[in-house]
Amino acid sequence: MITRQQLGWTAATLAVCVLAMNLGVAYLTRNSVPRRVMHHALESQSARVLALGNSLMAAGFEEPVFDSAAALPTREGAVNLSLGASSPVEQLLLLRYALAHGIRPRVLIYGFYDLQLSEPVQFSANDMIGNHALLYYLEPSYARQFYSLSAHDSLEFSVFHSIPMFEDRGAVWSKVEILRRSMAQQGLAQQTTNQFGRAADFSLLEPASTDAFRQDSEAAAQLPLAPPVAELFRQAHEASIDVVLVEMPMRTSHRSRFYETKEWNDYTSHVQELLRPYSVKFVDASSWAADDSLFEDPLHLSQRGATIFSQRIGELLSAKPAQVADLH
Amino acid sequence: MAQLLWVQHVLEYIAGEIDSPPDGFPVRLTNIVFWGLWWAALAAIIYIFSGQSSKFIYIDF
Repeated sequence: MITRQQLGWTAATLAVCVLAMNLGVAYLTRNSVPRRVMHHALESQSARVLALGNSLMAAGFEEPVFDSAAALPTREGAVNLSLGASSPVEQLLLLRYALAHGIRPRVLIYGFYDLQLSEPVQFSANDMIGNHALLYYLEPSYARQFYSLSAHDSLEFSVFHSIPMFEDRGAVWSKVEILRRSMAQQGLAQQTTNQFGRAADFSLLEPASTDAFRQDSEAAAQLPLAPPVAELFRQAHEASIDVVLVEMPMRTSHRSRFYETKEWNDYTSHVQELLRPYSVKFVDASSWAADDSLFEDPLHLSQRGATIFSQRIGELLSAKPAQVADLH
Repeated sequence: MAQLLWVQHVLEYIAGEIDSPPDGFPVRLTNIVFWGLWWAALAAIIYIFSGQSSKFIYIDF
C-alpha cells in the first residue's frame, strides 16, 4: 500500500510536471498569431494609418500596396493589425494596444462584415480559443465588460485566464485537428485550404438564407452599435483619428443574396446615422472585387483581390480624405 | 500467451486495477517519481486530445 506521504510526493511530482507543461505551452505559443499581430504593432510605431478588422481585412489589406497608392512613405505608412476570427472586442483591444505603445495614426481603416457592428458579442469558454486568446493576453478584466459569458464560463475565465495551458489550449488542439484532418484525407481528393483554414468551411459563416438575413438586418436596424464597436469609434474619435468604415468586398452571390436587399440598405443607412457623432466616414467597397476569381474562398480576397482592394482604398484616401463619405 | 498475460497485468497495474505488479516489473507503488510522471503523461494526453469537440473553422493559430 502507498502511504499518505508517498501519495503527497507523487502529487507534488505531478504538479512540477504540470508547471513544466505550462512553461512548455507558453514557450511554444510565444509566436501565436495574436502575439505576432501585437509584435507587428510594436515594430510599426511610426505608422500613420491603422487597419483593423477580422480575417477579411487581414487577408485583404496589403500595407505596401496601400502605402504606394496613398503616396505614403513606408515608415509612415499603414500597419495592418487585423486579426482572423476576431470579434470587435479583440479589435478594440488591438486599437488600445497600438495607442498605448506609441502608434499615433491619423486614419483608422476599419473593415466590417455583415451585421458585426450591431450584434452583441457573446462567447462560451469553448469559443475562446485560437485567436480569441487575445482576450486572455490583453486587458482581460477591461475587455470582460464588452462580451457576455455564462456564470460557469465567467468563473472558469476568472480563475484560469492567466494559465498558459488554458489560454493557449487552442494552439495545441489545432495541431491535433490538423493531424486529424490529414489522416481523414488519406485516399481522398485534396481539399482546398488557405491561411485561415479549409476554404469550403467559410461558407458556414455566411447567413443561412436570404430571408433570415433580411429579418436579422431589419432587427439590427433598430439596434445601437454593439458596445465594443461604439467604444472603438469613441476612443478613436477622442484620439483625433479619422475613422473610415469599410463594407468589405464580397462575392457576387453574397451581394445578390444579402446586400442587394432593402433591409441591408436600411441597415447601412442606420449605421451611418449612428456614426455621425464620431465623424466616421463610410465606404461601400462590397462590389470592388466584382470578379469572383478575386476570392480564394467564399469570404476572403485572394492576393490579387487584396492588391486591387488595397490600391483602391489607398487612392481613395490619398485623393481627398474629407470627401470619402460619399464615395462608393 | 504468457507474455500477453504479463502485459495485461502490467496495464492493469499501471491503470490502478491491481495493487501488485507482475513478476519482473520493476516499478513499485512506492516509486513516487514514476507515478508522478505517469500521471503527468496521462494529464498531457487528456489535455492534448480534449479539444476534439471544438468547432474549428479558422485554424490559422
